Order: sequence, then structure tokens, then C-alpha cells
Amino acid sequence: MMDHATECAGESLPKMCLRAVDEGHKVLHIFPEHGSVRVALWQRDEGSVSECDVGPGPHARPSRHGLPSLRFAEEQDLGPDTFTESASELGVIGEGMHIMPLGPVRADVAEALRYEMGVLGDEIHGVSLRTGYKRRGVAQLMTGSDIPTALAIAERVTGTSNVAHALAFSLAVEDALDLAVNDRTSILRSALAECERLQSHLGDLAALAASTGTIVAAADIYRLREAVLRFGAQWTGHRYMRGPIAPGGWRSELRHVTQELLRLLDDVERQFLAVRQALDHTNSFLDRLHGAGRIPDRSLDLVGVVGRSAGLQEDVRWDRPYAGYRAVIGGRRPAACATGDAFGRYTVRCEEILASVAMLRRAGGDAPETAQLPPASGAGTGTGYGLVESPRGRLFYRVALEDGKVKSCRIRTASSINWVAVPFALANRNILQDFPIIDASFNLSVASLDL
Amino acid sequence: MFYPRWLVNFGKGPATLPRRAPIRGQAASPPARLFARSLAIRHLDAGSCNGCESELSLLASPVYDLSRFGFSFTPSPRHADVLLITGVVTEAMVPLIRATYDAMPHPKLVLAAGGCTIDGCVFRSAPGVVGDLGRIVPVDAWIPGCPPSPDDLLDGLLGLVGRGGSATGDVS
Repeated sequence: MMDHATECAGESLPKMCLRAVDEGHKVLHIFPEHGSVRVALWQRDEGSVSECDVGPGPHARPSRHGLPSLRFAEEQDLGPDTFTESASELGVIGEGMHIMPLGPVRADVAEALRYEMGVLGDEIHGVSLRTGYKRRGVAQLMTGSDIPTALAIAERVTGTSNVAHALAFSLAVEDALDLAVNDRTSILRSALAECERLQSHLGDLAALAASTGTIVAAADIYRLREAVLRFGAQWTGHRYMRGPIAPGGWRSELRHVTQELLRLLDDVERQFLAVRQALDHTNSFLDRLHGAGRIPDRSLDLVGVVGRSAGLQEDVRWDRPYAGYRAVIGGRRPAACATGDAFGRYTVRCEEILASVAMLRRAGGDAPETAQLPPASGAGTGTGYGLVESPRGRLFYRVALEDGKVKSCRIRTASSINWVAVPFALANRNILQDFPIIDASFNLSVASLDL
Repeated sequence: MFYPRWLVNFGKGPATLPRRAPIRGQAASPPARLFARSLAIRHLDAGSCNGCESELSLLASPVYDLSRFGFSFTPSPRHADVLLITGVVTEAMVPLIRATYDAMPHPKLVLAAGGCTIDGCVFRSAPGVVGDLGRIVPVDAWIPGCPPSPDDLLDGLLGLVGRGGSATGDVS
């Protein structure tokens, strides 16, 4: 293990690296004694490292106005490694230090992921994440499939952000084949995406409230989330709004739901503001959030809610408006919060819920007069990019098509970028009792990491 | 305002309409009467897209409230009566599924939630995906759906322990 540490350290002093061990597992490691942060990313199954993977390290910071920088910090193959649980492996050594394993079967309802925390008493001093339990080979599966099949796979990468995945995939295919989409279709697409953000953020906030023991607030927010999901079923026929978005237009007809949408938005806004006000005056809630899970190093290139709560301003909807966002975003970004702790993530989510409600009001629920169905034959060749803001942050697709078949598809999800911050935030002067709160405040998707 | 409503609900029983029973699996299930009063559920993610988890987390919300049936999620397989498995079954999870199943005391049930556990859905041909959960552990019941709604999940749980017909009332 020390060999590995020195190998990395000799190169450029990483604190953490993502590497493969037995059974295709990836491990995020922290070496807190080193100075600078560099995130190495390497995926064994992808063969040679692709130029289009957007690495989370400082080398791959996306440009503000355009596609993300396509440079990738290539890492040497560190090779398979045996995995032994020892405190020294986390880079934390000391008397009384022991490893507390958690997962992959953990908590009440949680995704498969293994935390290994080096703890001294209650204090968390080092964290290692072991992932790869649920790799489904998304990229390999898409290779060689036709567009409808690839779309079906993209929609099932992450259940709670399937609209964002379908939209990013569709934008990439439309970019590759030069397909045009009419304005009303574009605006409805962004409305669906905002509706998805609404339910995702409400779910995250409910989980956060439940983790601090404020179960009344959690119950209220879960009820709002259920209302949004039922509205989604009414609108599109699927609770998570899977289905309508397809390259070139719509796959299915949408219902006219303008009145229902406005009623839902009024209810959600009014009741959410009430819950938020109550939470903002509940000290037992706030005390657990302030300072918990603070992300220590701002040079980590984070995206989405996690990034915006740590002082980064990136939001694809404003930086590079896609679909119908130019028409619905309005002027002002939701207020950012630069504290980088659980309270920051809570505040950013609350603000974004209100922003999503405003955007949905602007978009409206009118279905287009004539449904724009995707072209029957999708035969074509080309390469296209899709960049969207999923509920958890920037989502990037690159799709290469050959004669109507997917030649290759690269996916870079927000969770795969943001997971690198979780061990840092956990091992930053927190105690074990903070763990569920920090975990819930990130609420990242493991399915998006284990593609 | 609360108490009259409470009395009415008490008379009506739980407000869930079982619409369809789960699909019975091949396992030789222990008699349902052994689980008639309460059920400790251990959830296991065997490679899901987190849609099923999202719906499962809503079971604890006041809209569905699984605790009114005496059901609860348990953090330990040692306390569990039901192993509720979601997701395409990946090869990396196979030993963990077996270990979790073996760690549960008898009598025990396995409930497979979501279309992925049945045949792997769109991932059935992916490398590293087993797909059919029935090849790993004996499954007592399957709940189809992608993802199954909280209603479907409740129906499945109630049907699994032979209480499918007992709940009446309307969802309001």
C-alpha cells in the first residue's frame, strides 16, 4: 500500500486517487498528509483513456462559454491490487485508530457502496470509498445498438434523473445528425427537466431533514415530492417522466396540463416556503448542518448543487443555455452559498426549488399543437455532444453514430465528479454522528458513478 | 379536527387498495401466518438505477406509511424477515446477496422488486450482469414495474404475507 502512496506522491502529490482493484472495483483514496489535491481517474473497462472524458481534476476545468475542456489528465495504469483493510491504507496511522466499514448493504434504503472510515473514538480521520458493485456496463451496452435502444439505456442510467439523461442523449444525437427541434418542444423539454429537478431536490431535502431527526419536516417534504411525482404521471404517464423525450422530437404525446401545473406549483411553493421557514427556525436542525461536511479544498472542480454550495458558480442552464432554457431561465441565478458545508447545500437546494418553480411557471404546461415525432429512419453518421444540468449537476454525453447505430457513447455524470469531494468532506473534523447528515446533504447517486 | 378523522380511519382500516398480488416465485415459502403481524425488511441494492430506492424511500412518507401495517426497514439482516432486492443483479453483488440471505434467521422471505430483478431489463446482455435473481436465491415473490410505484410495493409486501385482501378503503 505504501508503494502505491509513494508512487502517486512521486508524480504529483495526490490526496486521492481513483483506481481499480480486484473484481473491477474502484477505490477513492485519501492521503491527507500530502499537500495538493489531484484527482486521478482511470476506468479499466474503457481501455485507453478517452480524450472526451471530462476529468474532475484541475486540469480539466470546463470553459465557461462552450463545451468543457476535453483534455484529460491521463494516469498510468496502477494495475490490480489486493485490498486489505488497514488504517494505514487510508493514510491515517496512529494508536487507537481503527477502520469502521459501512456497506455495501447499509442504512435503511441505500445504494450499494462501501465506506471505510478511519476513526479515532468518534472522530473521522480518513475515508475510503469502495465502488463498482453495481457496474452495468452502460457504455459497452450502448456500443452497436440502435438509437431507440441506446435511449432506453440512457433513461435507465439513473432513475431519478432520467429526463436529464434522455435530454443529454437526445441533444447529442440531434447535434450529430443535424436534427432541428421546434421552440415549443424545446421549452417543454426544459419544463420536464425542471419538474424532475423539483422532485429530486425535494427528495434530497426530505432525506436531509429525516437524517437530523426533524421527521415532521421530512414528512411534509415527502408529501410535496409525492405530489410532484403524481403530477409527472398525469403529465407523461410515468411518475419519473420517463418516455417523452426522444432525439428529434417526442416519442409520445403529452397531455395539456396547464391548470394542473399552476395549481401544483402554487401548492408546492406555498407549502415549501412554510416548511423552510420552520426549518430555518429550528436550532436542532441548523446546529447539525452548520460546519458539517465542509468541503476543504476549493480547487476541487465540483459541479451542481455541491459545487454551487462551495463557491463555484457553474450552472449549465445559465452558462450555456440548451433546449428551451434561454426562454425560461429569467435573469437571475438562484442565490449561491459559499460555505461548502451541509447548510450550504441545504440553502442552495432550497433556492433552486424556488427557481425551478418560477421556470415551470414561465414554461407552462401546454403541449405543442402538433406533436413533433422523431424521424422514422435515424440513419446517419456523425458525432455530437449533449451538455445539460441534471438535478445533481453537469451531465455530459458524447455520442458517435455510424449508419444509425451508436458507435461509441461517453457519459460523464455529475455524481461521478462530485463523489470525490465526499471523502474530503467527511474526514474534515466530523464525528461519526455527523455521517448520516453529511451523506444525506450530498445525496449523490451511486448508479451514476458505477456506469 | 384530527380525532374525528382518526376515528373514521380507525373504522375503515388502512387506506390502501391492493390491486394486484405479486407474482409468486418458485421458492417453497414458509406459511404466511408466521409473518402475520409485523415484518422487518432488509433492502439490498443489487445494481439498480436508484429509481426503486427512490420509491422505497417514499414508503416511509405519510402518503404510504408502511409502519401502519407493522412493517419497518431494518439496518441488519439478522433482524430481517424479508430480503427486498432491487436492480439488475451484477456479478459483484452475487456473493453479497448470498451472504445477506445466509445471515437472515429462519423463517425468511425474498421479495424481488422491479423489472430488472426478473430479467435484467435493458441491461440483460451487459457484461457482468446476471439478470435473473432466481438463480441466486430462492425468490418468494416478484413485483414488476420500472420502477414499481410505492402502491405496487405495498401490495407486494401485503400479498407476500397473505394480507393482500385485508386492507380496504380508498386512497384520498
